[in-house]
Amino acid sequence: MACIIALIVFSIMGLFSATHRQLAREAFDCVFRRVTFRPCNTGFKEKIRGRIIGKLLKRSVALAKFSNKYFEVFAWIFFLLTVASTGYTIKGGYNFYRYGSCNGLNQGGFCAFDPTGKNNATSSVADGSCPIKQPTTKDLTLSAVDLELFQSKKADSKNDLVFVGCYSCDYTRKAYPVVKKLLEKENINYTFIHFSVKNENENFPLYVYAASKIDQEKYWRLNDLFFEASKEDLQSQEKIDKMVIKVGYDLQVIKDEAQKETTKQAVQKQIEEIRKTHIYGTPTVFINGRSIVGPKPYRVYKLMLR
Amino acid sequence: MNDSSIQSNFPTLNKRKSIEEFVYFDNACTTLRPKSVINAMNKYYEEYSVCGERSLHKLGKMVSDKVHETRSLVARLIDARKEEIVFTRNTTESINFVAYSIDWKKGDVVLTSDKEHNSNLLPWIRLSAKLGTVHAVVKSDSNGSIDLLYLKELLEKYNGKVKLVAVTLSSNLDGITNPVLEIARLGHRYGALILVDAAQGLPHQSVSVKKFDVDFLAFSGHKMLGPSGTGVLYGKKKLLEEFEPFMIGGGTVVKSTYNSYCLENIPERFEAGLQDYAGIIGLGEAVKFIQKVGYKEIARRDLELNKYITDYLCSIERVHIIGANEPEKRGGIISFYVDGADSHMIALMLDEANIMVRSGQLCVHSWFSDKDIQGAIRVSAYFYNTLEEAEYFTKTLSNILKAV
Ligand SMILES: Cc1ncc(COP(=O)(O)O)c(C=O)c1O
Repeated sequence: MACIIALIVFSIMGLFSATHRQLAREAFDCVFRRVTFRPCNTGFKEKIRGRIIGKLLKRSVALAKFSNKYFEVFAWIFFLLTVASTGYTIKGGYNFYRYGSCNGLNQGGFCAFDPTGKNNATSSVADGSCPIKQPTTKDLTLSAVDLELFQSKKADSKNDLVFVGCYSCDYTRKAYPVVKKLLEKENINYTFIHFSVKNENENFPLYVYAASKIDQEKYWRLNDLFFEASKEDLQSQEKIDKMVIKVGYDLQVIKDEAQKETTKQAVQKQIEEIRKTHIYGTPTVFINGRSIVGPKPYRVYKLMLR
Repeated sequence: MNDSSIQSNFPTLNKRKSIEEFVYFDNACTTLRPKSVINAMNKYYEEYSVCGERSLHKLGKMVSDKVHETRSLVARLIDARKEEIVFTRNTTESINFVAYSIDWKKGDVVLTSDKEHNSNLLPWIRLSAKLGTVHAVVKSDSNGSIDLLYLKELLEKYNGKVKLVAVTLSSNLDGITNPVLEIARLGHRYGALILVDAAQGLPHQSVSVKKFDVDFLAFSGHKMLGPSGTGVLYGKKKLLEEFEPFMIGGGTVVKSTYNSYCLENIPERFEAGLQDYAGIIGLGEAVKFIQKVGYKEIARRDLELNKYITDYLCSIERVHIIGANEPEKRGGIISFYVDGADSHMIALMLDEANIMVRSGQLCVHSWFSDKDIQGAIRVSAYFYNTLEEAEYFTKTLSNILKAV
């Protein structure tokens, strides 16, 4: 058992030093002999034991005696721990590949492959109220949401993607090009929901709604422009107006539409509808009903498709 | 010389601040080197690192003189003639030299003891496989030294066929010294040549090849304070003269034509190619150092340390000393094994306390296989070891034995 643990430990340490590589080789030889039902007569186990108990002896004879007596037991415990941690490492690696986080889809906590946690980072949508129960990933849903209220591109696909984000949020801006690439490469029914979270220009939602109502084609181009523009530009009414004109809208028509009471009501309705998703941060992407919170690598979105 | 004046000559020992940092009890493997040996070698490299023998210039002559000086020193140490001293790389090479050089006939017999180092066993096993010679083993008696009666029996049994009796002077397994004088007498009576492996013996006891009347004596410089890569083969002049060198080339001939050559005298004809001058010069210094300390003092210190450690080991039931229990029979060596504890494991535990010993089958696998003993721990002392170190060893071992 000691040989197996030593093999694992020294194999890892062997990546960094030649001495440990040699020990790993010895451990391998010992393990190989064991699995081929031959005695491990390399003396490797005794060497490891001698080193460990010898070190303990310097601290306390009793401790060394105890450790020597239960050496095999400790070896088994370490073995099981090693197996368990190897299992977790493999699972973590799989989760990272599949969901962009070692801990699983939308799960925070430290991940060695994503140490800064950027794949899970979101811009909070908290509105200053203090709910008794903080929403979690489990609460995220589209089931009660009327998606007809938002802009969509139907592609007659078996895959549905709903992107909830805000133009001036860093993480949405990070996720958007990735999702856009996915939409370009795959055939997907797509719905975009703009959800203002930062102190954006208050006219923004009204403009966006008006634009989408007046011309769908131009709206999608405007959408791209907003994500391409700097965050500062999105604060400026003048710059927004310029972008509206650039994609070919008549600014006055948009302004008039935005001022209408019906537009305000529709935007209000949209906000209420979005709340029903219980999202707590942007970007939140729903692919076929499953939520993905935070900007994920391309493969994560792709793997969620049917 | 007292402890500290002796120790001050050894840079490795000088480095330590306390004995807990380093205790060297693996002298049977190789000894530490005194400053004088290191300095002499450095001096060669720094001041006259040129060819000896063949180059006649001033520096070349300095090298040749030094090589001759070492040859004389070694010859005097073992009571031989200068021309009977052949420089080799080590004991192993010296023994193989003999194995290659004797004119073997099928059926010739080689006798060895049952406690030979692989270096004085494997050459004879190979010889029997290759040339059809016979290798037979003489058992040890209850004292652990070669059983002379058994030896006589075998000499009689093989009546005139025993060409060589190759025995160790002192065993690296248990330190026991064989009665070489009697062995030689007996062997010669039956027409056998006598080869003595003095690798372990010569560092601890004076040897006179004349008195012992041995035909060959092999030993290593590195086991007696000298540099690694230095060894010696002593051979009786008339025997060496009969030998065909098994390696020839530069330095071994006085002249050559395109199709013939005329060999150098002995011993040069056996020293082919450029020699390890620095090593040989260092070996000369090592011999001087040993002579300065004196074999009497070396034996006194061996006994003092061996007795102290033996007394302690004998008090522990689980511990078995290999060889005779009497320390005076075992020179500087104390080999033992512990019931229920692996020898390597104990050696590594000692190493954790910075005590260096040897463990395992000590290159005498044949003996361990025969006795079905898994391995041993060998403590081997030399004159620069101290009682304080022995105390530290016994204290540490006592803790280890409490734990395992
Ligand atoms: C008795 C004996 N013979 C021969 C040898 C071989 O010596 P070397 O390795 O210097 O050739 C040793 C070395 O330990 C030895 O102890």
